[in-house]
Formats: sequence, structure tokens, C-alpha cells
Amino acid sequence: MEQWEKVLYKNQKYPDNYTDNTFLRDLKKNIDFKEVTYRDAFLGANLLVQEICTVMGFVLVYIYLYNEWLPPNLIFNAFNCLTLVGFLLHKFHYKNKAFLNMISHDLRTVLIYIVFGHLFSPVLYTLTDTISTDTIYTMTSFMLLVHLIFFDYGVNSTIVSNSLSLSAAIFASICLASRLSSAHQAFILITIAIEFFLLSPHLRVNANFSLPITLALALCDLYFLNLVSVFVTVIFLITISFINIVCPLLFVRYQKYKENIYGPWDEAVVEDADSTLNLW
Amino acid sequence: MAQRICMVSDFFFPNMGGVEEHIYNLSQCLVQKGHKVVILTHSYEDRVGVRYMTNFLKVYYLPIKVFYNQCILPTMIANVPLIRYIFIREKIEIIHGHSAFSALAHEAMLIGNLMGLKTVFTDHSLFGFADASAASTNKLLELSLMGCNHCICVSHTGKENTVLRARVDSKRVSVIPNAVDTFSFTPDPSQRSTTQVTIVVVSRLVYRKGVDLTAQVIPEMCNKFEDVNFLIAGDGPKRWLLEEIRERRGLQDRVTLLGGLEHSQVRNVLVRGHIFLNTSLTEAYCMAIVEAASCGLKVVSTKVGGIPEVLPSDLIYLAEPNVTSVIDALCDAIRDLKLGKTMCPYQCNQRIRGYYNWENVSSRTEIVYKTIFQESKQHLGKKLKNYLSSGVWPYLLVVSLCYIIIQFLEILEPRSNIDIARDVKAKRKKMD
Repeated sequence: MEQWEKVLYKNQKYPDNYTDNTFLRDLKKNIDFKEVTYRDAFLGANLLVQEICTVMGFVLVYIYLYNEWLPPNLIFNAFNCLTLVGFLLHKFHYKNKAFLNMISHDLRTVLIYIVFGHLFSPVLYTLTDTISTDTIYTMTSFMLLVHLIFFDYGVNSTIVSNSLSLSAAIFASICLASRLSSAHQAFILITIAIEFFLLSPHLRVNANFSLPITLALALCDLYFLNLVSVFVTVIFLITISFINIVCPLLFVRYQKYKENIYGPWDEAVVEDADSTLNLW
Repeated sequence: MAQRICMVSDFFFPNMGGVEEHIYNLSQCLVQKGHKVVILTHSYEDRVGVRYMTNFLKVYYLPIKVFYNQCILPTMIANVPLIRYIFIREKIEIIHGHSAFSALAHEAMLIGNLMGLKTVFTDHSLFGFADASAASTNKLLELSLMGCNHCICVSHTGKENTVLRARVDSKRVSVIPNAVDTFSFTPDPSQRSTTQVTIVVVSRLVYRKGVDLTAQVIPEMCNKFEDVNFLIAGDGPKRWLLEEIRERRGLQDRVTLLGGLEHSQVRNVLVRGHIFLNTSLTEAYCMAIVEAASCGLKVVSTKVGGIPEVLPSDLIYLAEPNVTSVIDALCDAIRDLKLGKTMCPYQCNQRIRGYYNWENVSSRTEIVYKTIFQESKQHLGKKLKNYLSSGVWPYLLVVSLCYIIIQFLEILEPRSNIDIARDVKAKRKKMD
């Protein structure tokens, strides 16, 4: 009998449901598969834990301000000093030729922020005043969750949205600010929120700092959380160790089950014509 | 033996496309062979109810709202009474669903299966495995095809794809290509320009048809050859791109955009060209290149999906889906054209007629009908067990609920109360 051919235009002597030995010969698996080592997975998970610790730290600041367990100005000054140290570290790490120029620009920004922050903090402070505390807390949790979901952890993905993530965090801080006792405290909370969610990621993008920063943040969180509630501290500790140690382990172990199938049926990828359009 | 067949798909006339044409032509051929065929589709604007087409081909436009992308909302149970009524009324024996995207086809196949009728499914498209949406649609297709007696794919690549996606036994999948009406796609060399080379593009102007590729090829080709013109028919969301390129490169006199065309006018555009260019990024079969070859054009196409299987190598110039490769293939085609290495267009038409005709497609489909008609009926327990093997347990609830509704309807609306439709016999065409 004649050899079967993978063509449609011949009326071959084989039945239509004949399956040849060459069936699925063009099937390819895992073409550009990159194995993730435990180290990579650990460092990746570390970024998530770092952000969770940041959020936790922010909530702790609120709790201490709300209950007035520490003098507000002490908290404020402590964080401002930390920010200054971080700022200098950042500056020295990314040495710019126009160092002085940039300094004056930065100082101006800080000045504008202080003036307008003080001007508007009474407004922000009363903005969500009429909303009940339960609603505020639910909204804050939800917004901080949104912040965690859309935060840029360095993965190239469509879900990442820096602006949404930052807006959610700032919204959460404005919600919480209304529960404090004075406009000044509200200003402190919002300033700290900006330091946490807007300024600190600039310092944290450097991969070398990542691990020590997470460690320091987690230890601080654990210490201050322990004074608030032992039970929550234990849960927090279990959560971060699960995310940072167990999850990467599972990810690395289950990698071998990854099976991406490729074949002639895949849609071809072409260069977008929009980019060439702009060349002319 | 004459069978009573019901074609089901969301896509049918007045919508136009490959699936619609396939259903229409296949039905016409089956009617002429003496089978009873009815078509089930959802309503199109004011086109609701029963309509008759050529040779008393009966079409039911069901009053169901379109949900997304010309498809109905897949509720699985809401349309059971209506569809069951039609199956009984028309004494249907075989349900033939078309297109994996058609929710109506899947619903009707499930209902038919539970009523103890035989089901066939024709898959017209290819689907990848790369992302989450593909993974979930593939699972749904797997569930739907578990209860199906036989599948038909339009190319061997399509069969490989379907077997992988839906985990159907490869023996249950037949490959029956599409066909083209070579009698309406006849060549007419007198329409061609004698001094210029005309490259024709006929496709919907969407991303999947490779408009981006065409847009990059056009200016390069116009630079390379003084005597090459482009004739582009079709409309779609990417039309602006071609217009923009024509504008920026000042090619208004060399690139003609005709806009959307009726299918009947396509032939008149094709015959004006020397070379047909297809830049699809994925394609299960590609009717356009066969239509072009039938009109005697040289075909240049990207080598994707089932396209390499469609035409013999002396009728097609294949290229990889990138700009340089397509341009090389076009240059080869133009060189051969200028050297006079062309096949007589009428001979080309004759050859395509030998390869693809609806006569052949319908008799091969008949064989499928015949084989599944002899398959024994499965009882409900066996069917449910089949569904269980897919691993999606909640689907058993859907199937069971559907079954209960059908049983309930047997009491509420007994078969004896349903009028049986009279068959209108068409005059058999004399074949000589």
C-alpha cells in the first residue's frame, strides 16, 4: 500500500480516521524552559514578604499612634531620621554628577510637601470622619490587600500597576487618619505612609539590600507586634515563614510537572507594525 | 440509507465566514443525496423563526439572545425544552455541531446525547495551550466531546490539535477538509493587467490574519519593484494600519483598499491579480488560498497551522511568518511570473476541482454518519462514568440536571403531543 502523506489534496486510500505513526511528530515540549533554583525562588518570595512586612509596619505605626503608646513626635522623628539615612544611602549608591542640583530640587519638594501637607491635613483628617470605624477598618484591609496584589515585585506581568498599588495604600492611610485624635497626628500618619509606600521602594529595588532590609523589618514588626498581641505575632511569624520558606520549596519541587506544549497549531508571533510605523 | 441530520452552530447566514459556508454547502450536498437536513442557529436581529433556503433547506433561528462574540450565553439548561422539541418534531437522528466557539452547538450536542441521539462535532479552528484562557476552554471542549460519538477536523494539524486539547481517542477523529465551489471561482485572465504585477490580499483585517505582517511587507515590495501593485479587500479593526502605511509612504496610487466585500464579489477581485498573498498567523485550513488557486493565481502564504497540507508544492510558495521570508517568497513568485513559469489558470482550476469538492466532502461525512449510526447506545450510568474520567466532578451535576429536565419534559410535554414536521422533498438534481 502507498505510503500515507500528511496532505489534504490527495484522496488517499486510507480511511479518514486513520492515524499514522508520524502523528504528533511536530509536538515539542518546554522549548524555553528555565529552571528556577531554590535561591531564585527564595529571593522572589522575599520581595513579597518584604512588602507584607512594610504593610504590617504601617499598621503598627497606626496602632501606636491611635492608642498613644508612644509620643507622636517621637515616632515622627524616628521615621524621618530613618528616611534621611535611607535617602543618603540611595544618593551615595546612585552617584549623580549633578548631586548638588538634585539636592536643591529634593529640598524644594520636601518643603512643598510640608507646607501643603500641613495645609491639607485638617481636610484629609475630617474627610472620612463620618464613616463608621468598622467600615474604615474593612476598607483599609481591602485597600492594603489591593496594594499587595498590584505591587511591582519585579515580575513582568499585566497585573502589575504601580499607580493603583500606591493609590490604594495612600487611600488606606487617609481612611485610618480620620480615626486619630488630631490633625497633626493625621499629618504624621500620612507622611509615614508616603515614606513607607512611595519612598522606601526606591531604596528596596536594589537586590543587595533586599535580604537585610526584610530581616530588619520583620524583626521590628515582630517586636512591636508582640507588645500588641502575642497571638497575632505567632500567626504573622507562621505566615511569613510559610511564604518565604515553604512556598519556594514547593515551587521548586513541582517544577518538574511543568509541561508546555508547542506545535504547528500555535499562533505565530510577529513584530508589531506599530513600532515600525513610528520609524518613518 | 437516508439519515435525518441536524446541523447546529451559532454561526450561520447572515453571518459570513468559513464555518457558515461549510455548513451551508455540506447541508446542500447532503440534501441532494436524499438526507433530511435542518439547521439550528440563534436569531440574527429580526431573523427569528423558521426560514427556508435553496432546496427547502430548513433553518431554525432560535429566539436566544447573543451574549458575546456572536455566541449565546451557555446556560446548558435554559434551552432544553426548545431544542428537545425541535429534535422530536423533526425526528432527528444525528446532531452535527460546528465550531468549538459555538455554545449553542455544545448545548445541543449534550441534549441530543442525553436523548439517545448520535452526535458529531466538526472543529474548525486551532487553539494553543499557552495561557490560562486556553487551558480552561480546552477543558470545556474536553467535557463536551466526552459525550460525542465522532469528531471531524478540517486538517491533519487540526486533528493533532483536537486530540491533544480534548483528549479524544484519535480513532474517533476523522480528517475531512473543507472544499471550495470551483464553479464559482473560475479564472478570467483577461481581467489581469498586462504591464503590472498585481498582488491581491483578501481577508478580514484582524491581528490573527497577520495584517501587521502585510503592512510591513507592502512598502518593502513597492520599493523593490516599480511595477508591483497591491489590491486589498476586506475590513476589520486593523484597517487603519494599512491606510496609515499607504499614507505615510505615499503609495495611494499603488495600494488599493476596497473595504469589505460580499462573498460573491470576491471572485471578481481575485481574477484581477497575478499573485495572492496570505499572511495568517494561525489557520486550520484556509479557504482563501484554495479560492485564489482556483482562480488561477500564484499563492504565497505563511507556513502556519494546516496550510502546508492544503496545496501541492507547485501551486504554493510557503514562507515563515516573518517579513524577510514573506518578501523572499513574493520575489520568487514574481520572478517565476516574469520568466513565464506559470500554469494555465484553467488547468489550475481543474486541478483544484479534483482536489476539493463538496461532493467528496459530503460523501466522506456520510461515511462518518454511517459508522456512528451503527454504534450501540450507552445508558446514563456509562455516560456519567465517562464524564467522571475528565476529573471535573461538578459537571456531572449539570449533566444529571439536564437529564432530569428532559425526563420531566417527557411527562410535561409528551412526544405524542408534538407535531411531526412534514418533509418537503426537493427535486433531485439529475447528475450526469
